[in-house]
Amino acid sequence: MLIVDIIVSGLMMGSFYGLMAIGLTLIFGILKVVNFSHGEFFMVGAYAYTLLLLKANVSAWIAVPSAFFLGTLVGLATERLLMRPLYRTYSEWGVMRDEYAIIVTFGLSLFLMNLANQIIGPYPFRGPNLVAVSRIEIGSLMVSGHRFVASLLALVVLASTYLFMRASRWGKEIQAVAQNRLGASIAGINTAKASALVFSLSSGLVGLSGALLAPLFHAYPAVGVFPALKSYVIVVLGGMGSAIGSIVGGFLLGVLESLGATYISYAYRDTFGFLILMVVLIFRPQGLFGEKVREV
Amino acid sequence: MRGGSRIRTRRELKVSLIFLAIVALLPLVVKVPYWLGVLIVSMYFAIVSAAWNLLAGYTGQFSLAPATFAMIGAYSSGLLYHHFQVSPWIGIPVGVVAAALIGLLLGVVVLRLRGPYLALTTLSFAEITRLVIGNSYDLTRGDLGLSVPAIFESRLAYYYLFLAVLVAVQLGLYILVRSRAGLYLQAIRDDDVAAAGRGVNVVRWKTVSFSLSSGICGLAGGIYVHFIMLASPEIGLVLQTGLVMCMVVIGGMGTLIGPVLGAFLVEVASEAFRDVGLSHMLVFSLMVILIGRFFRDGLWGLFDRLRDRRPAVGRAPAAVGRGGSS
Repeated sequence: MLIVDIIVSGLMMGSFYGLMAIGLTLIFGILKVVNFSHGEFFMVGAYAYTLLLLKANVSAWIAVPSAFFLGTLVGLATERLLMRPLYRTYSEWGVMRDEYAIIVTFGLSLFLMNLANQIIGPYPFRGPNLVAVSRIEIGSLMVSGHRFVASLLALVVLASTYLFMRASRWGKEIQAVAQNRLGASIAGINTAKASALVFSLSSGLVGLSGALLAPLFHAYPAVGVFPALKSYVIVVLGGMGSAIGSIVGGFLLGVLESLGATYISYAYRDTFGFLILMVVLIFRPQGLFGEKVREV
Repeated sequence: MRGGSRIRTRRELKVSLIFLAIVALLPLVVKVPYWLGVLIVSMYFAIVSAAWNLLAGYTGQFSLAPATFAMIGAYSSGLLYHHFQVSPWIGIPVGVVAAALIGLLLGVVVLRLRGPYLALTTLSFAEITRLVIGNSYDLTRGDLGLSVPAIFESRLAYYYLFLAVLVAVQLGLYILVRSRAGLYLQAIRDDDVAAAGRGVNVVRWKTVSFSLSSGICGLAGGIYVHFIMLASPEIGLVLQTGLVMCMVVIGGMGTLIGPVLGAFLVEVASEAFRDVGLSHMLVFSLMVILIGRFFRDGLWGLFDRLRDRRPAVGRAPAAVGRGGSS
């Protein structure tokens, strides 16, 4: 296999990885907690896309946005019902918020997984491709048509999310809240609204990546476990809370895995990411693009 | 959830010993081997849950790897038997030492991290270990698993071995929690910066707690593998850790009795739900979310509160401005 081939396939996987992980890092940025039900929002998107196409026979170009919106709704509900205590009162929660977030989101992850298992059943559904073209030739490279279109789409969404965060008014409000919640609220920013926005955007984006990857991964109750684990690796690598870090981290992980699978060992390809994560956490806990956190 | 006063700990020990005494008498009534098996599995989970509770409930360290340490205990004994025909009576203690040592190493490395970072590192440790064991076919026979011998002929012998270990673990934890070291651990849980300020060696005591908890998990896994007679990577699934977390949260975190009650409740109820055709994890994960959200001291806390008619724990009084940034 040509090295260019390996790197291109790694970069394409990387665009999906970036899309999966960016929501997780945004949530960490604003709430300072890790959402352990991230993978189940991916599952919601994968199911929405697949079932809409297979059972309702709608066009793929309606199914993809629907997956995004369904993800958004689930995220919004989660934020309203479960995340509010994180920023209401700080007197006792200040110390306990990590524990609370882990318990509740890990519980939600198990709940959604088993809900899908109970309602839809454990059998995997294979999502149809976005486009009918099976192979696209770029120079000497052969890429699957679906992967090509889906990764272009992922790139466009990543770029617009980044622009939204940097340039729009809402994006700037979100950044302000991430920097200092109390200060932002004194400046007149509705911090609860900003958090709700981030949560629904985050789950919408990971739902969208679920829809784009449904033809590759299929849709089944535990489909989100693997993307969630990858996302944790990426956000730690890129720096928790940094949007650009998760995009770069996604590409980096995609290429490293692709190279590692070819030159080191295919059977152990999934362990590379976790090794990276442990090494980064031990030697550079703030990641590549993260800020050092100061303790009082 | 904040237990800790000596009188309450004493009461929790009393109740859990009464509960375990009832468990000891159960084989007089329960004769079906199947249900004896369910109770044995409950006791396995009770031991792992108690160990995880020491770490998460008393020390405030959310490890996501208790099932992995049980798997390490299981494979230590399994591999020793498979390759060198070493007796399980040597293999199990070796597993305990191996789990405690790996826990110590991991602890030294990761316990400087806190909160979500610790959870992420232990989660990736759990996944690496499971993937390596599942893929090293020559050494471990991969996902096929290793078949290991039984140590007893009868289920009753396993039953009382597990019960004895569980009672020993409960007594040991009771002594630990009431000792000075127990106070250090709870101080670290409540505020590690303040604890360090008052002279507690935070990293050392976190490491001790991590290593001890891992060793107990290894012990549970080592005995369990000779009961199910198959060492497979399934013992270390993250889902198993999820189950342990459900048990501890439902029973009552940071209490001596909570994990034991939770383990029996969840494991026995799972069997009952299976007959109805309802996914047991659906019910338990919903319970975890509700308990986490509304009454964080679990079922034991609820029971305790009804007894005392005390107001709910965890509803913070007036909000003190403490900015979200840290």
